[in-house]
Amino acid sequence: MLKLEGVTKRYKGASVNAVDNLHLEVRPGEIFGFLGPNGAGKTTTIKMVVGLLAADRGKIVVNGRDLAADPLGAKRSIGFVPDNPNLYPRLTGLEYLNLIGDVYGVDGATRKRRLDYYLQMFELTSAVGDLIQSYSRGMQQKLALTGALLHQPPLFILDEPMVGLDPRSAHLFKRVMQEHVNQGNTVFFSTHILEVAENLCHRVGIINKGQLIACGTMDELRQASGQAGSNLEKLFLELTDAGGIDEE
Amino acid sequence: MKNRLWTLYRTLLNNHYGFSAAKFYYIKKRQRTWEPLVIVAGLTPAVVMGIVFIWNLTEQLFIGGLAFGQPHLALLNGALLVSLAGLFFGFFSVLSAFYFSTDLEVLLPLPLKSWEILTAKFAVVLTGQYAINLLILLPLWLRYGLLAGVGLGYIVSAVVVFLALPVVPLVLASILAVLLMRLVNISRHKDRLALVGGFLLVIVLVGFQFWLQSSLGGDDPELVMEQLLGRADGIIKAAGRVFPPSVWAAQAMAYAHTWQGWLNLLYVAALSALALFLLYLLGEKVFLQGLLAGLEGSRGTGRARQVELAEERARAPLMTVASLEWKLFVRDPGFALNGLIGYVLLPAMALLPLFGQKLQNNPFELLALDQLHPLVVAGGLALYFLFMTGMSMIPATTFSREGRYLWIIRSLPLDIEQIIGAKVLGSQGVNTIGCLVGIIPVAYLMGWGVGEVVLGAVLGVLLASALAGFLVLFDLRKPMLDWVNPLKAVKSNLNALVGMILGLAFGFALGFLLYGNVQTGTLWLIPLELLAAALALGALVRVLIRRWAPQLWARI
Repeated sequence: MLKLEGVTKRYKGASVNAVDNLHLEVRPGEIFGFLGPNGAGKTTTIKMVVGLLAADRGKIVVNGRDLAADPLGAKRSIGFVPDNPNLYPRLTGLEYLNLIGDVYGVDGATRKRRLDYYLQMFELTSAVGDLIQSYSRGMQQKLALTGALLHQPPLFILDEPMVGLDPRSAHLFKRVMQEHVNQGNTVFFSTHILEVAENLCHRVGIINKGQLIACGTMDELRQASGQAGSNLEKLFLELTDAGGIDEE
Repeated sequence: MKNRLWTLYRTLLNNHYGFSAAKFYYIKKRQRTWEPLVIVAGLTPAVVMGIVFIWNLTEQLFIGGLAFGQPHLALLNGALLVSLAGLFFGFFSVLSAFYFSTDLEVLLPLPLKSWEILTAKFAVVLTGQYAINLLILLPLWLRYGLLAGVGLGYIVSAVVVFLALPVVPLVLASILAVLLMRLVNISRHKDRLALVGGFLLVIVLVGFQFWLQSSLGGDDPELVMEQLLGRADGIIKAAGRVFPPSVWAAQAMAYAHTWQGWLNLLYVAALSALALFLLYLLGEKVFLQGLLAGLEGSRGTGRARQVELAEERARAPLMTVASLEWKLFVRDPGFALNGLIGYVLLPAMALLPLFGQKLQNNPFELLALDQLHPLVVAGGLALYFLFMTGMSMIPATTFSREGRYLWIIRSLPLDIEQIIGAKVLGSQGVNTIGCLVGIIPVAYLMGWGVGEVVLGAVLGVLLASALAGFLVLFDLRKPMLDWVNPLKAVKSNLNALVGMILGLAFGFALGFLLYGNVQTGTLWLIPLELLAAALALGALVRVLIRRWAPQLWARI
């Protein structure tokens, strides 16, 4: 569903690559967790996949379409929720959702059915006619999520989706991801909450200093690190070279 | 406390004008170093020409004024100009800095008094005003000083006047802005009210100035001149009616060596101090309430919202993005007040002379606008559309205004050519309606026919759309996305300035062509020439968009 081959990105004026020769494959029908310390390159990678940043080198293929050669085709397969969803504050929630629906060509009947479902689930029905500037951060996040799912994208990408959510909303987000995969789609998300990744993901990838240092199921990661019975937190600290903090 | 205010001022100043960002990019990172060079190279000729103009005008006014025993006419004109400009433009700067900048959410939780926030923000606007005033007043005062052979007293007076002069107009602008926002923020529809209130205030300001001007000498230009120059105290009284501190400032400098000069200087300084005290009171009593009411989000009530969830008719992406462009511009008071004011102001300035004066002496008749050939009218109207699309700043700042929200449109499956098309469509929707709102009443009063207005509008839309396409592309080249205050995306944006200059330049070039047609009697050529110009410019812009837009879009 998503394939990155040797993807590299260096920001202007930087001395090191933000993402360095990244190879990664996310398979259809799986929930893939993308982990890494702050500044490891998670958001940069996601931004390149959704077309917000151009890769310096390498190839990104989304649902069989090369992002560089057919960016619109690739984007049509993606639904994206960024880490900090800055939504147009002077649009109403419904206007924002209709913008997304129109651009993705979601017909009226389907749009209504899906909006009814998601808005009710996220308890936004009564607020959807209000300006987004009156929404809380959590409400904006849920609105962005609704917009991203409106066209039922084969690949659903979320950057740090759990940040700032209350427990109920976090639970709903996890439920939505699970449902989306159950319908035959794929979810790719970055997170710092290792518990979520451990419980929800079929596979995880760990990126550090722009390079993928581990990728696989929990069992595969344990095997590779030779730490049978370890939890993801311990593996993560070990792999990202931050294990020393335990001893301090 | 002093240090706290100073730190706050410095931080806000730095943020407002992007000094740290400039230092970081141009000096530390050594990136985009060509930018300041291009800006300096671009602005230098205009600044030099402006200084030369002021220098020569000062000399003429000095000599002319000498004949009437008023050699300090130039000083008075300078003081009056910067004061009125400060009041008019300061209103928008102050409104934006006080109420529409997002840094307020950072500042309010800090242990700062509301008058400190207000004062620091006021000082930032004032600093900008000083920079503008310096460019105008320095050559003027220098030339005057050389001609009049002034002494040390003049220099001392000049320093005090320079510091004090912009204070009163900006405090007046602040009072208007604070009172407006206090009233507006009570309402749930505050954005709409801010917009309407802003427009009304501008019209009132223009009307007030017009009333003052006409009260000088009614509609008789000779009487005005006589009042201005003919009597020893004519000019003083006339200017005093418009803005008394400008008279005190001029007299303080002109008679710097006498007790009368020092007394006037005292008036200027005292009034500025009083104005600052008023500002302090305003900060304590009214500013915070208006600000808090403005920041208060109106939570959804859910009333009858389900009705809107009826089955929506899917629209073409082009129309959706065009309507997005329209909504985002019109709903933001910061954008709309600056971009739309011209559509209201120009017709208002054209129509005001008709009220309170004898119709047979109105300026339209002086220009014989009601006797123009229909094709000349159509041509003129078309050029108005073209000119206004640059002045509105809508196409020239379209990507800049998206700011941090640009990710939405960038992550959607939309072709950049489609996006540019939608943005041109959206901007031209605003431009067309804005122009027609102004044209229709004038056309009615002048008795212009429907045919010439429609022809002018059609040609105007074509011309303006072609220019808008270029301006959208120009903004895509380097959009100003990093702003806290929305006003920065339109007012501090070089792309907006380029848009205005291009609108003006194209307007003048085609206007010159029209003038040629009038002179040679080839009026029938006017619509053909304008159509050809629109098609040629449109074709060129299309080629440029195809060639450059995808690369520029990917590079952002």
